[in-house]
Amino acid sequence: MINFLTLKDSLGNLLQGAALSLEIMVLAFIIGIVGGTLLSLMLLYGGRAMNVIAHTYVTIFRGTPMLVQLVALFFVFPYIGIVIPAFWSAVIAIGMNSAAYVSQIIRAGIQAVGKGQIEAAKTLGLSHNQITRFIVLPQAVRTVFPSLGNECITLIKDSSLASVIGVAELSHQGSIIMSRTYDALTAYAGVAVIYLIMTSCASLLLHIVERRMHYVKN
Amino acid sequence: MLKIKNLTKSIQDKKIIDNLSLEIDRGKIAVLLGASGVGKSTLLRMLNNLETADSGTVELDDTVLDLAKTTQTHTIGIVFQGFNLFEHLTVEQNITLALENVAHKNKPESQQIAHQLLKRYGLEDKAKQHVSQLSGEQKQRLAIARTLSLKPTIVCLDEPTSALDPLLTTYVAETIKELAHQGYIVLVATHDTSLLEKMPCAIHLMHKGAIIESADSNDSFAHKGHYPHIASFVAGGIASFVKTHTKMC
Repeated sequence: MINFLTLKDSLGNLLQGAALSLEIMVLAFIIGIVGGTLLSLMLLYGGRAMNVIAHTYVTIFRGTPMLVQLVALFFVFPYIGIVIPAFWSAVIAIGMNSAAYVSQIIRAGIQAVGKGQIEAAKTLGLSHNQITRFIVLPQAVRTVFPSLGNECITLIKDSSLASVIGVAELSHQGSIIMSRTYDALTAYAGVAVIYLIMTSCASLLLHIVERRMHYVKN
Repeated sequence: MLKIKNLTKSIQDKKIIDNLSLEIDRGKIAVLLGASGVGKSTLLRMLNNLETADSGTVELDDTVLDLAKTTQTHTIGIVFQGFNLFEHLTVEQNITLALENVAHKNKPESQQIAHQLLKRYGLEDKAKQHVSQLSGEQKQRLAIARTLSLKPTIVCLDEPTSALDPLLTTYVAETIKELAHQGYIVLVATHDTSLLEKMPCAIHLMHKGAIIESADSNDSFAHKGHYPHIASFVAGGIASFVKTHTKMC
């Protein structure tokens, strides 16, 4: 049975862990969005060299487990003289992995922008960069918003991987509570409920924004 | 005067525009009439730098135009068949976007121009609304206002009635007449013959990328015998014309 007294005593630590998980998610998401947008532009408009670089990046980061990327960044990089703190290793690894997926989402969104929109902008004399900035990207963002929302929710859960390199995020707090109390059910039930609350809140927030965007569109 | 001389375009050995020549005076309307796929829209797209010509020249007031630069110099503008308005922007922003970023007007100046155009086209109360909230006819008015915002000399309209209720043909004709009255050179591509009766224009019937017959609209209706192809197209519609003309060829 779940021990609510243990849960109550551990709530402070769990919430501290949840805050750190959210911090990892937000920072990784920013890296994912910025990196993903750049990669998608390289894939669509870059020259041959840019295209090869972006394609290789996406193949590597989508084709290997995030856990391996995280561990490599934290444990392997010090061998070549690059030491990155655990928290930032988690943020960078999760963010770079996310960028590979986000690039494909944004690429699909850009390709979904009607040819007529681009032609209209061309006939008004807008340059290629202006068309990308004022016409293509804003419309692509609307199209890909639901998929980016899903990516955001996935990142909340992916942040739990940071526990393997000792970042005291929510899952890590759960294992600390379990090792202290020997009560795995209570510790992980608490962790699961907090994850559920975080993902549900994110989902609700995204739904509200999406509805607002939809209203403006229609 | 706009002079199109011997314009040609081929795609994979198929002639889309075949040695086409055409002259239009300022303040006049020229209608490219023909069935779908005869090259009407391609010609308008070539003038607006969306397609490149294989050969031929386009002159405006005896100066040869570099079609690759006409959009930058705002010499030619086009109102697309489906309007192609920017759905993510407001009505006003659809006009101010190019004014601010291409014509380099400042924001208040752009908004003032947009306000004047929207007022002229009866959309001033819609300025802050999104394009999706407009009716088809309002969208067309906005598309025309957007094109005119950059003050082009030549205004092209591609199938201006096709996306609208047939009852609005008179309104479209009035709008086109007003454009000509303001001094624009107006080039309309259409297969809608009902438009011809409602505005004085030069009709150029196209078939397989070439102009096969030209006439003044009033003249063509008064002396149908002199313009058999146009008369056949107007009387029998596209299907009948294509059938007859294929036999004649």
